[in-house]
Amino acid sequence: MPRESFQQELDNLTGDVLNLGREVGASLENMVRAMETGDEELAARELGVDVRYKARGAELDRDSMILQARQAPVARDLRLLYTVQSVTNHLVRTGALSEHICHALAETAGAERDEDLEASLVEMARTARNIFNEGLDIFEHRDIDRARDLQAKDDKVDLLYSEAMNLIANPSDSGAGAPEWRMRAALMVHYLERIADHGVDIGGSTVFLVTGQRIEDAMRQYLERDINRDGE
Amino acid sequence: MTQSERTREEQRLTGVSRDRREGRRDAGRPPAGDNGTLGMKIQDLSAFYGGFKAVTDVSMDIRANKVTALIGPSGCGKSTYIRCLNRMHEVIPGARAEGSVTLGDQDIYAKGSDPVVIRRRVGMVFQKPNPFSKSIYENVAWGARINGFRGDVDELVERSLRQAALWDEVKDRLKESGYGLSGGQQQRLCIARTLAVEPEVILMDEPASALDPVSTQKIEDTMAELKKSYTVVIVTHNMQQAARISDYTGFFYIVNMGDPGRLWEFDETEKIFSNPERKETEDYVTGRFG
Repeated sequence: MPRESFQQELDNLTGDVLNLGREVGASLENMVRAMETGDEELAARELGVDVRYKARGAELDRDSMILQARQAPVARDLRLLYTVQSVTNHLVRTGALSEHICHALAETAGAERDEDLEASLVEMARTARNIFNEGLDIFEHRDIDRARDLQAKDDKVDLLYSEAMNLIANPSDSGAGAPEWRMRAALMVHYLERIADHGVDIGGSTVFLVTGQRIEDAMRQYLERDINRDGE
Repeated sequence: MTQSERTREEQRLTGVSRDRREGRRDAGRPPAGDNGTLGMKIQDLSAFYGGFKAVTDVSMDIRANKVTALIGPSGCGKSTYIRCLNRMHEVIPGARAEGSVTLGDQDIYAKGSDPVVIRRRVGMVFQKPNPFSKSIYENVAWGARINGFRGDVDELVERSLRQAALWDEVKDRLKESGYGLSGGQQQRLCIARTLAVEPEVILMDEPASALDPVSTQKIEDTMAELKKSYTVVIVTHNMQQAARISDYTGFFYIVNMGDPGRLWEFDETEKIFSNPERKETEDYVTGRFG
C-alpha cells in the first residue's frame, strides 16, 4: 500500500494515544478504589500524575502537528489527526480531574462523612469510570454504534449529580459530615460529572472520525427523522 | 444483531444510509444544495479515440465564476474530457465525442456549431507554456486581432497582462520576445493570451506542473482573481493545488485497466478533501491508491 511509512506514523500516534488513555484509565481505577475503600494512601500515590499526563499530551500534540505539516493529510487522515488531538485533550483533562479528586480524598483523610453522600459519590465515580473506559474502547475499535448509547449512559451521571448536589445542599441533621469534607464533596461531584462528559466526547469524536459527521448532527438527524416518521 | 438490523442502526446513528456513505450515488449529480449560476452543463459525454472509448457517460454541472478541479490517476481521461469542453479533442485524427455540452443556451456539439467560435468562448491553457515566436505584446494582441477585435489594442494588452498578473514584470519590455520570459512568466503570458479574446470559460490542463513553487503560487493567485470574471476548469495532479484553489472537485477513475474513465465523484472541494462519499476517492486523495 502506498504511503506505508505515513500510515505507520499514524498507527504509532494512535497507539500512543491509546496508551495514554490506558494510563489515565488506571488512574481512574485507583481513584475509584480509593473512594470505595477509603484508602487515602492509594489516593495520595496518584498526586502529581497530571503533570505527567500534560507533558504526554503536549508530546502527542506536537507529533500530530508535525505529521500535519509534513504529510498534508486530507480526508480520513485529517479526521484522524483532528480526532487524536481532541481525544488527547479529553484524556489529559480526565487525568487532571482524577488527580484533583485523589487530592481531595487525601486531604480529607479521617474527616467525618455523610454516608448517603459518600455512597452517591462512589456510585457516580464507578459510572464515570465506566463511561470513560467505554469511550476509549469505542475510539480504539471505531465502534460508533455504541457512541449514542454512551450519551444515554451519561444521563445516569447527570441524575447522580443532581442527587449528590441535593444531599450537599440539604444535609441531614445527624451525620452531615465535616464541613470541609462536604465542600470537597461538592467539587468531586463536579469533577466526576466532567470525567463522564470527557468519556462521552471521546465516543462522539469517534463518530466524527468514522463518518465525518458530528455526533450532535447525527443525533439531530436521527431525532428529526423520527419526528417526520411520526408525522406521516 | 443481524446485518440488516446493524445497517438500520448505523443509519439511525449517523442519519446517512450505507449506500450514501459508500458512495453509491450518481456522481454526475450536482452537489446538493448548490444554487450557483451554471457555466457549462455536460450530459452523458463520452470520448473516443477511434474504436477505443476513453471516457464514458460524464454528466457534470460546472458553476460559473468558480474553479472546478479535475483529479484522478494518470490515464483516467481527465485531459481527454477537458479537451471535449471546447472541441479540441476532435482535432486528433479519429477522435470524437458523444453527448452534449451546453454553454449558455448553446450545445457546442449541435449541428452547425462552429468549433472556432467555441474555442474563442472556451479558452485553453496547456501544461507546457507555448508562447508564439512573437513579442510579448503580439502574443497577447494577435489572437484578439484575428478574432476581429476593433478596440484599443494597447488597452487590451495591458488589461490582459494585468489580469494574468504579469503586467508589472513585462511592461517595460513588451517588444521583446515571449521566449525570453521564465517558464512561469511564459505560462502567465499564455493565460493573458487566452484572456485577450475574452472567453467565458478557461480550461487549464496542468498549467503549473512544469513550474517551480513560486511560479506555481503566482498561477494559483492568478486563478483566484480570474474566477471573479471567468469560469475556470483545471486538470491537476497536485492534490494540494486542487484543495487550495478549487471550489468544486471531480474525481475521475478507471475501474479496470482498459475500461473508459468515469466521473466517480463530484462535489464541493471541501467535501472531497474532508469526507468524500466514495472509498476510491478517499483512497486517491489520501495517497493510498495503487
